[in-house]
Amino acid sequence: MDSPPPIDTDTVLSVNNLSICYKTRKALVKAVRDVSFTIKRGETLGIVGESGCGKSTVSFGIVDFLGANGLITGGSVLFEGQELVGRSQKELNRLRGDRIAMVYQDPMAALNPTVRMGEQLTEVLTSHRDISLPEAKKQCVAMLKRVHMPDAEQVMDRYTHQLSGGQQQRVVIAMAMLNNPSLLIMDEPTTALDVTVEAAVLDLVEDLKRDFNTGILFISHNLGVVARVSDKVCVMYAGQVVEMGRVTELFKKPCHPYTKGLMRCVPKLGTDKAGSKLHPIPGRVPHPLKRPEDECIFVPRCNYSTDKCVQSWPGLYEVLPDHVSRCFYAEKVLKESLKEKTGNDKKAVSADAEEQPDETLLDVDNLKVYYEQQSKSIRSLFGLDEPQYVKAVDDISMEVAKGKTLGIVGESGCGKSTLVKGIIGLEEITDGDIDFLGVDIALPVDERQIETIQDIQMVFQNPDATLNPAYTVGRQIARPIRRFGTVPKNQAKAEVIRLLQAVRLGASYYDRYPRQLSGGEKQRVGIARALASRPDMVICDEPVSALDVSVQAAVLNLLLEIQKMLGTTLIFIAHDLSVVRFFSDDVAVMYLGQIMEMGPAETIYAPPYHPYTEALLSAVPIPDPEAEQKNIRLSGNVPSALNPPSGCRFHTRCPRRSMLPDNGMICETEVPPWRPVSKGHHILCHIPLDELRKIDSVVSAA
Amino acid sequence: MLKFIVRRFFLLLLTMFLVSIAVFLIVESSPGNVAKNVLGAFITPEQEASFLAQTGLDKPVYIRYLYWLIGSDWHGEMKMDMELQRITTEDDYLEWWALREDGSLVRWKLEGDDLFATVKSPDGKVRTELDNDRWTTNDQGISTFWGVDHQNHVVKWEKGTDEKVWTFIAGSGWMETSGGPTRYIPLKKGFIRGDPGVSLRTGRPVSKSIFIRLRNSLVLAGIAFVIVMPLALFLGIIAGLKEGSFKDRFLSISGMMFSVIPEFATGIFLILIFSYWLNLLPGATVFGELAPWQRPDMLILPVLTLTLIELGYVLRITRSSMAEVMRAPYIRTAFLKGLPYWRVVFRHAVRNALIAPITVIMLHVNWLMGGIVIVEVVFGYPGLGQYLLNSALYKDINALEAGTMIMVLIAVGTQLIADIIYTFLNPRIRYS
Amino acid sequence: MTSTEQTADTASLPPERTGFFKNLKNGLSVLLSSKTASVGLVIVLFWVIVALFAPLLSPYSPTEQDWRAPNQGPTLKHPLGTDELGRDLWSRLIYGARVVLIVLPISDQVWFPIGTAIWGVIASLLFGASLGLLSGYRGGWMDEIIMRLLDAMMSIPIILLYLIIVTAMGASALNVVIAIAIVGTPGVARLVRSLTLDIRTRDYIRAAETRGESTLYIMFVEILPNAKGPIIIDAMLRVGYAIFAMGTLGFLGLGLPPPSPDWGSMVAKGREFILSGSPWAALWPSIAIASLVVGLNLLADGLREETMRYQ
Repeated sequence: MDSPPPIDTDTVLSVNNLSICYKTRKALVKAVRDVSFTIKRGETLGIVGESGCGKSTVSFGIVDFLGANGLITGGSVLFEGQELVGRSQKELNRLRGDRIAMVYQDPMAALNPTVRMGEQLTEVLTSHRDISLPEAKKQCVAMLKRVHMPDAEQVMDRYTHQLSGGQQQRVVIAMAMLNNPSLLIMDEPTTALDVTVEAAVLDLVEDLKRDFNTGILFISHNLGVVARVSDKVCVMYAGQVVEMGRVTELFKKPCHPYTKGLMRCVPKLGTDKAGSKLHPIPGRVPHPLKRPEDECIFVPRCNYSTDKCVQSWPGLYEVLPDHVSRCFYAEKVLKESLKEKTGNDKKAVSADAEEQPDETLLDVDNLKVYYEQQSKSIRSLFGLDEPQYVKAVDDISMEVAKGKTLGIVGESGCGKSTLVKGIIGLEEITDGDIDFLGVDIALPVDERQIETIQDIQMVFQNPDATLNPAYTVGRQIARPIRRFGTVPKNQAKAEVIRLLQAVRLGASYYDRYPRQLSGGEKQRVGIARALASRPDMVICDEPVSALDVSVQAAVLNLLLEIQKMLGTTLIFIAHDLSVVRFFSDDVAVMYLGQIMEMGPAETIYAPPYHPYTEALLSAVPIPDPEAEQKNIRLSGNVPSALNPPSGCRFHTRCPRRSMLPDNGMICETEVPPWRPVSKGHHILCHIPLDELRKIDSVVSAA
Repeated sequence: MLKFIVRRFFLLLLTMFLVSIAVFLIVESSPGNVAKNVLGAFITPEQEASFLAQTGLDKPVYIRYLYWLIGSDWHGEMKMDMELQRITTEDDYLEWWALREDGSLVRWKLEGDDLFATVKSPDGKVRTELDNDRWTTNDQGISTFWGVDHQNHVVKWEKGTDEKVWTFIAGSGWMETSGGPTRYIPLKKGFIRGDPGVSLRTGRPVSKSIFIRLRNSLVLAGIAFVIVMPLALFLGIIAGLKEGSFKDRFLSISGMMFSVIPEFATGIFLILIFSYWLNLLPGATVFGELAPWQRPDMLILPVLTLTLIELGYVLRITRSSMAEVMRAPYIRTAFLKGLPYWRVVFRHAVRNALIAPITVIMLHVNWLMGGIVIVEVVFGYPGLGQYLLNSALYKDINALEAGTMIMVLIAVGTQLIADIIYTFLNPRIRYS
Repeated sequence: MTSTEQTADTASLPPERTGFFKNLKNGLSVLLSSKTASVGLVIVLFWVIVALFAPLLSPYSPTEQDWRAPNQGPTLKHPLGTDELGRDLWSRLIYGARVVLIVLPISDQVWFPIGTAIWGVIASLLFGASLGLLSGYRGGWMDEIIMRLLDAMMSIPIILLYLIIVTAMGASALNVVIAIAIVGTPGVARLVRSLTLDIRTRDYIRAAETRGESTLYIMFVEILPNAKGPIIIDAMLRVGYAIFAMGTLGFLGLGLPPPSPDWGSMVAKGREFILSGSPWAALWPSIAIASLVVGLNLLADGLREETMRYQ
């Protein structure tokens, strides 16, 4: 394996035993160790792994753009047969942007805010080739059209902030493709985008690869995205390649405990908590300074490890043709993977076995939350303008049953966060009622009864912001206990420790500061703090979306366990449809401040669908390269909530309007009916249910 | 964007209004006595009262503020029931006269019980006539008359009182007269009508002397500004290009030192070096009403002091902005597009790096003015700063208010300009 | 549920020792790892020590006149020379440092500990932080009014504010404190407001709000401790500015009333004698004020750089 593979003309990039270090004040930190892979023309290599595993460092290492303190300490990078390691920056500069192009995560930040798109595009051509400006412009417009950019000519004159996120990423991709590069490096190119936009961008990548015959290095933490675009997949862990193989092979027959662990800790689309279970990987990625050189790096988190694993560093073994794994027990892992595949999941669930009358805990009626928008005209200075409102939540009604979980999904800006802020009293309610256990709570939090405040608590998204860095964990959990007097004062500390144990952290955490905890641990403390007031309902606002997948599973399991134990009612907000499906009893799908469809989880994920739900489901990246998924893409951008479309909010982008007479004229003029489909399942759509029922399921698992 | 600018403009007016009130109140509430400042410490209470009455300083503070702001002639006209006019004489004095129906101007003098009118006809001829018909007598039989006197007051004369008047005439001392007016309204047009009044300290109209002082200060600041700007922006960009390099550390630390050492200390160092030890340059400026450019050698040290201080400040702002931009993802993008180094720096970095400093620098004008005051005192430079300092120490309210308003106008005005430049440079604001 | 994850998850750092001395030690080690900050610290410490022990470090009182030896250069008897009244410049210099850093003289007999410049900064921190927290956290019309007023204050040239305030109230140490506090308040308020605007978007603030905590609790218990770092560094710079301002006021004749030793007024008086051949009386206090202000800035800059590196 260590000898470089023979170079054939099809190979665009061949990386051999690449090692990269960062100089810090204290020591030389090894970020990437002995990484090898090849990419052929027209082939996509996906690199997956959790944060801190060195994916991005590899991509920068290829073009030696590691900043002042990074350096390549070994190995070679052969690009079209030429060695890149050791070349001067000036020589590399000639390749960058010309033969090797790159696309990065946040397109907003990647584009210069004060330079027009046209100039940013044309300079790629003019600085690499002898080309006149008008000719360069023409080529840029052509390329913008090629990436399906609407109004390509006008876009040339615009600035970054005048484009939507999806359009910005299209510009960046167009910029990368202008010189027809033979290697395209994409580092998390869709992570900052909403799921429907992400799907469209991924389609485009696929498309371009075919047309330009480019080799692509695609980096992502998302197994589903990698499964969709890659031909080959390389799994990285703590700076090393642990497994590599063809995409279908690798997903079907994972041979490394880490790969297998990653797959077992994300819920598959369509599975739920009753029928399946998530298996988190214990522990966390070791710090770069604490990575042993001569033993398997995965040992502390592995349940296959033996003494052998700590005695020597495993090499890459070819377990199957073209499929390597850095594990002494690769064969064993493989065998077990194949076995589990067949006997997995399906626990027989009788859906109506526990058909008890549900007691309603929370009842929301016609809730509206509007914000006043500052007008920009001079007239408004004198109070002459009509005030304008952002209708963040517009006329929402729903019920949450005691002890159940309501999942809310929707893309960014759909109003899901505003909705829960309204419920918890952090946002002033414009109109409507919220009834909690028979008490009207449509009030800001400082006007509510202390019992109501105590009964509704919240778990937050960002682990780094959820705890106050100035105080110890113990003090932060004790605060709600003291404030609401849940236990006598002298027992507060015991209660805190009890809560810490309930979230699977020991008493030793009492005196720690948040900066000493990992992301997952912080989320657990956040959960403990929310539970400290013994609430009836906990609102979870994307509690796992900022966590690595392996940690995600552990936190989800914890929430489930606590709900089972305490009977807490949960409202669970997420943008990941698989997670919501797995976690929730009922699901509401939101779009532009309204609920499009609501019902028991299993009914949302099966026909009949609301057209928006259908589009969302068809966009979800599924970590299974063999799953068949309908290709429905939404056109245009999400309209402004300042002036939402008349009639049906979704009519401007609905792909199913043609199912109605006159191409859905009615959608533009009339608010659709809230049609009951089955018990508790409603769809807000003009299309008759019988028509909707005719539509096939979006996903058919292989 | 337009809304933003209009809003800022209103804010400017509001600020000036608030500041002018504040200055009035503070000077009013302060200890110390203007009369004693003007007339010396040995005046009698009667003399002081008479002086205060003539200058209008005996009136309540809100009236004085109102007179200062919008003038007092309207009040005089109300009392007299005649129109008032301000004229400039051939030898450049300002005189207030009342306008008679026949188009000639008139003012009065009381001698004994007789009222004499001085009449100036439109052709410029001046004559004096007895004008006792104007007395009005009330129920108690007291005859009074509201008219304009020869010292630009609207006054109320009362027949038969024994009011003593002390007039202080510069050069010749006190002149005592009796039978003077019982009430005074000193005439002025008011600040918003372009008349800042008369300086108590010099007895001259503020607008005249302040103009020369302002010109001198602007020359000083202007030269410093023209030197500082290009130099500081250039050095700041050089330093920020490579954060942490020797060049960067050298420039930022010396910039910091220059900008934080008080101006008077820098000035002393420069005087000691260049005029005391090396004996190259004059260490003080001595030109009275002369224009500063007639002695350019005297300008060098004051300009150098100002330049050093501002240079350090602007350099540091530019440097940190440049360093931040060089870390931005879009600069990385530009490098990864394979663009030549200097193209990345000039097309992509500099423009973004200059947006922040330009506004900060404009806001710094505020600070620069403090520097000018000190530099003027250190070098004895006859500019606005010194004028202001002396007026403040003297409680010369008209001069102080005028100087303050000019300074605030410059400060807030540059902020307004900074805002406009900022919106112009930043497309995110320009196109929203 | 899984029992494996508990064991592995807990296997991290031991609890950190806390306490004042631990904090002090941490702070010092951060400080000393920066060359800039160390140099600054040495300069500042020099002046603090000299000021603290001033009565022990000079045989002369700062107001003791020696009419036989006016305007002298450095001699054995007077290491830095004498001023126009024959007063010892070294004594005046270190007693001047005392007024800046160690004592706030109220009258001839009464004084407070902690120097004039530092009191000014403390006062502006108190006002500014409260206003900034209120304005940043409450927002809305409260923010609008507070910020407009502070904007108006900030747009008045600083020198003018000093002039007006001190001439109105008369020259005394206490009035210098008040002037420094008034001039400093808007800047502190703006800084604290911008920190607050950032911190209040954090989820732990929302957590406190969902507990129905009072505005005061959130402002002072949840937000303020997290704004501490930048405020401390800003305060250091502000002490520098305050010394700058004290010197300037003294130079303009608005500082401490004579014959108190005041660096600014020493320079102003000494300036008159430069051209007649005695530069020392103006030189020493100029060097003193310049070195102290530069030292404070080096200290603050180094500290800021170092804390940024640690984040």
